[in-house]
Amino acid sequence: MSYSSVFKEHLANPRNVGDLANATAVAEETNPVCGDRIRLSLLVDNGRILEAKYLAYGCPPTLVSGSVLTELILGMALSEAESLTRAELIDRVGGLPSRKHHAAALAIETLRAALNQVAQVISERQQIESR
Amino acid sequence: MANRHIYLDHSATTPVDSRVVAAMSRALTETFGNASSVHGFGQQARAAVDRARREVAALIGARQNEIVFTSGGTEANNLAIKGLSFDEPAHIISSAIEHPSVRGVCDALEERGWDVTRLPVYENGIVRIDDLKKAITTRTSLISIMSANNEIGTLQPISEIGKLVAAKRAEGQKIWFHTDGVQAVGRIAINVDDLGCDLLSLSGHKLYAPKGVGALFVRRGVRLRSQSVGGHQERERRAGTENVPGIVALGEAAKLARDEFSERSTHDAQLRNLFEHLVAERIDNLVFNGDQKHRLPHLSNISFRFIEGEGLLINLDLQGVAVSTGSACSSGTLEPSPVIRALGHNDELARGSIRFSFGKDNNEDEVRFAVDVLANSVKKLRELSPLNKPSVLELQPLNSR
Repeated sequence: MSYSSVFKEHLANPRNVGDLANATAVAEETNPVCGDRIRLSLLVDNGRILEAKYLAYGCPPTLVSGSVLTELILGMALSEAESLTRAELIDRVGGLPSRKHHAAALAIETLRAALNQVAQVISERQQIESR
Repeated sequence: MANRHIYLDHSATTPVDSRVVAAMSRALTETFGNASSVHGFGQQARAAVDRARREVAALIGARQNEIVFTSGGTEANNLAIKGLSFDEPAHIISSAIEHPSVRGVCDALEERGWDVTRLPVYENGIVRIDDLKKAITTRTSLISIMSANNEIGTLQPISEIGKLVAAKRAEGQKIWFHTDGVQAVGRIAINVDDLGCDLLSLSGHKLYAPKGVGALFVRRGVRLRSQSVGGHQERERRAGTENVPGIVALGEAAKLARDEFSERSTHDAQLRNLFEHLVAERIDNLVFNGDQKHRLPHLSNISFRFIEGEGLLINLDLQGVAVSTGSACSSGTLEPSPVIRALGHNDELARGSIRFSFGKDNNEDEVRFAVDVLANSVKKLRELSPLNKPSVLELQPLNSR
């Protein structure tokens, strides 16, 4: 299959590139087999993702999955972001050949790792406030 | 979609020359007979095949009856190695950077009980004669080493190998020498007597002829077993009705390659050198892969640090510049270029390698445009890359406490 116009547009103009200086959480996951890597920085307030930035190294589906993911989760409630699936991301990218599904899986894995960190940060804050 | 289309992938395949198309078209419409038929139509086709055979032979300094037409380079490589390995398992010597069509046959021989030595290359991408000398045993019956590598263009010491094989033969050893000349023929001067090879493969579509036709040079006296039976064509070495239009096209392409050899190689080298000069001026953190002197004149292979080749390739393609990468990432399995890995480079460099190969129809304006697109794409992908940024551990709020 050939890549969708959405895919090509994101590859040409990746969104939300970089690190967030004031991030609530920064996660980086690597596919240990192929070496593809995605870093995701999130700024969260009041249970919502206010800002998301990403960096990526790897094949085009990895670069694009990161870009589409950041657009997708901006403004999203944490509970909603937690339920995002690989299939939904692949759909938003406009489809990926099956041999490239691992790219979307890496993006979702990175999102989950970042959300875990967010949960830890929130839990620590609550502990401090309750003292 | 891009407005311009610049083809810098001539080592993958070349566009068919319009003069070759004209010759092939005449063969399709006028010389359609079966070259084995005894009537006039058949004899016309036979004459056309013979003319083509003379041209291909002339291009590599061979005799006409030493050329066997095939469907391409892969078949020629298969025929050469399999055609000489029908006896009891023995020992074959090859290199670590052969084309898959040689590598695959060697792997298959190994499964059949052959001993296979794959000579290493060093950072320059060239095998060493001393390694070859050490590898040859009394059981060695075949050496297959490419003339020029398909990814980095490095030229192997073929004439030195030829001399070594001749010396072994003079001592009484039964040993043959095959070289995969697919990338070299038409790009550098090739004379099979100077090289001292017994077999040499070549392919039409690397020479501005169409896909589906190639040839194997088989030196007189080499006993080669056909891999297809059921016909007497090609002096019993390849059964099947000749692909007359393809063969005629290859003949015309060989003639043009010979007539225009020096003009083409000078042109290609000038463009390649200009390209590399501009790239080095505008882009940092890169490695020019392989020996920079002993290489094909039209090819440049560069690894760009911090980025992955496929990402760069698709970015260039979307802007109208067609190139190749030796790496592939599929199903989550990394396949970094085995050729770049064989140079001793790490996975990052092997994954970030791109091959640019120029041709007779490229021009300076295209090179300058390609460098502009390349520099911008590399910059963009490096901005996106985490490899040249502070470590994630330095950024994580949880770790900063």
